[in-house]
Amino acid sequence: MPDRVQDELIAMATKLFDEGKVDYFLGYKKGTLKFKTSPLIASHREELQQLWVEDFFAVNLSLYLKEIKGRVGILVKGCDSRSLISLLQEGQIKREDLYIVGLPCPGQIDPRKVADAAACEREELEEISRRGGEILVRVGSQEKTVSKNQTLLDKCLDCQHPKPLIFDYLLPGDYVAPVQQIIRSQDELRQKPGLERWAFWAEQFQRCIRCYACRNVCPACICPRCIVEENMPQWVSPLPTAGDNFVFHLMRLMHIAGTCVSCGECERVCPMEIPLMKLNDKMADDLRELFDFVAGVDLNKPLPFRTYRQEDPNDFIK
Amino acid sequence: METKPGIEGKEKGWEPRVLAFLCRWCSYAGADLTGSSRISYPPNVRILRIPCSGRADPLFILKALRSGMDGILVSGCHPGDCHYTAGNYNARRKFALLSRLLEYVGIDPRRVQFSWVSASEGDKFAKVVRGVVADVQALGPNGLFRFLDPDEKVKEPANSHQ
Repeated sequence: MPDRVQDELIAMATKLFDEGKVDYFLGYKKGTLKFKTSPLIASHREELQQLWVEDFFAVNLSLYLKEIKGRVGILVKGCDSRSLISLLQEGQIKREDLYIVGLPCPGQIDPRKVADAAACEREELEEISRRGGEILVRVGSQEKTVSKNQTLLDKCLDCQHPKPLIFDYLLPGDYVAPVQQIIRSQDELRQKPGLERWAFWAEQFQRCIRCYACRNVCPACICPRCIVEENMPQWVSPLPTAGDNFVFHLMRLMHIAGTCVSCGECERVCPMEIPLMKLNDKMADDLRELFDFVAGVDLNKPLPFRTYRQEDPNDFIK
Repeated sequence: METKPGIEGKEKGWEPRVLAFLCRWCSYAGADLTGSSRISYPPNVRILRIPCSGRADPLFILKALRSGMDGILVSGCHPGDCHYTAGNYNARRKFALLSRLLEYVGIDPRRVQFSWVSASEGDKFAKVVRGVVADVQALGPNGLFRFLDPDEKVKEPANSHQ
């Protein structure tokens, strides 16, 4: 991404501090590993020099808002802006405490996928850059070109909102139409008979080690105290048995229904590589079909479980 | 390990256990009327009174499935009749989503059923319970988690009448 975006971002954020508009600025800084970025929570204007604009942003920064008290400037991509809308709908954050800097997103690159596409180890990657619609990779002295489809994060492939939906200031930059239309309802698992679906999910739930990474990284998981940590009464045993994992995952899904914006963080951080997005996508489809609701798009629409209509689906009830 | 969900192979003398969450303003009174009208219905159902069908947190249903209940019934007031104005409308939205998600992970929707039964519908309550018990009888025991945790025994509730 061009340096001028980065310069503009730093100038912008510095101005916010100078004018006393924000107490903190949330952005990204260069990570300790190559092709990784870390979140930056800047509380002084000097720290803003670390702000970094790259193609490898994965973390959804809105996650940190629930822990920061005060006025916050935040850098958001299209998908992150949907999380902000969800949090605003939930009443978790106040719009007047936020200064939102939008970043038009050309799709984020997954270095793991680049390494696979270039048929090398991740450590061997020297440089990754964009050229038009393709990605240029340098491995040792060789240069390879790989297509965007092969290298973007899964969630970016059919991104509907590369441009932030809510912002106070929009940085210059390109954003692209989805490179690929994935029709999620054609997920082959949905076509299979019930017993096979259970066999699949039972195996997935059995693998879960209950590290709670999915919960901790989820911007929609807002309870100060999670139900799985309650022990009076104990609803879910902390032991990672498949049965309790099933209760945990389905429960979490019901809790984030309507505020989950399919940002894909839960699946990305899962150490056991459980395909949690299959559940989230199914839930998003169901909410659209049942209640005509798409999470994090329209700030003025009430959350699906905060409202009802008399003509809601009733045919499944005897 | 066996890779088939153990919902086949009925054990000898097995009878389904169905947990019914009944709204105290209508379905619970409806169940009462069933009894006082001398209408018989299968004794497989264990009734749990809740203040409103809106109180039936999806967590209760998941926990009941996890604890080995063979079937679950949630019953409340007809739309428009809620004592708290909108409890059943809110509940209906949650149930609509939950039943679809349960079906997606492969739990037969007949295991978790919903109904509207008013305080004057004693005969309907008996009919609903007969339907649920027949469905669960056909499905067999809830072996969902026995297959996953082979060592785990499904505990009989302490006051289970045998």
